[in-house]
Amino acid sequence: MSGDSSQEPGFSDSAAIPADWLAEFEAAARRPLEQRFRYSFIKTYKPVLDDAPYRAFDTMEEYRQWCEENLPDWLGYGRVRVPTG
Amino acid sequence: MAAFEYRQAEEIRAAFARHAVRYLFIGKSGAILLGFPDTTQDADLFVAKSCENGESLVKALQELGFFLSDEQAADIVRGKDFVQLKNGPFDLDLVFAPDGIERFDDAWRRHVEVHGFPVCHIDDIIASKVASNREKDRESLPRLRSFREYWLRHRLG
Repeated sequence: MSGDSSQEPGFSDSAAIPADWLAEFEAAARRPLEQRFRYSFIKTYKPVLDDAPYRAFDTMEEYRQWCEENLPDWLGYGRVRVPTG
Repeated sequence: MAAFEYRQAEEIRAAFARHAVRYLFIGKSGAILLGFPDTTQDADLFVAKSCENGESLVKALQELGFFLSDEQAADIVRGKDFVQLKNGPFDLDLVFAPDGIERFDDAWRRHVEVHGFPVCHIDDIIASKVASNREKDRESLPRLRSFREYWLRHRLG
């Protein structure tokens, strides 16, 4: 591995890991990378998103707006709105 | 289109190396390379935004079997912020300006190598998901943050 850990943004190291998640992380760590791929990459049809062979957006904001205006809410691509008032 | 396979990730690594493309795996596909046990559909690549890198990227993508019109190739060379490819042997999202990461060079300084795959640091993957503020990312963040703690202790690869 490479990289400069001194550049890491600040996150707390103190968070406890729930036991069931810890068990999953440890099980995954024992699997070879190729097997992790087989377990992790799946393919299901996503309406609208999968219906064009190519899309390009000038800005991420433009992409996010397109997702909100065109994709079904249940896909989860919409941004989280904070209630006002 | 079938699910993305390890063999295809290897093909990306080889083709991008041949053409000296500057890129990093990011998003959940990057986290999976780091050892995060979860599911995803597409590979997400953070690509350095420059004409030279864009030209190299187009050559590598064509070599991998992606069909790109002249106009689409020009989009990539110019470095649109986000390009979604479903016109090749697997689906690929190219992100030139991910939310939450200022510059490619900053992410590159922090990146890790996993079996020769260049991967964003877990903190950058989390930062981009926080900044994107999507429902689906918000749901996965608690578990991803716990994985970060685990990964920092064990430095998986």
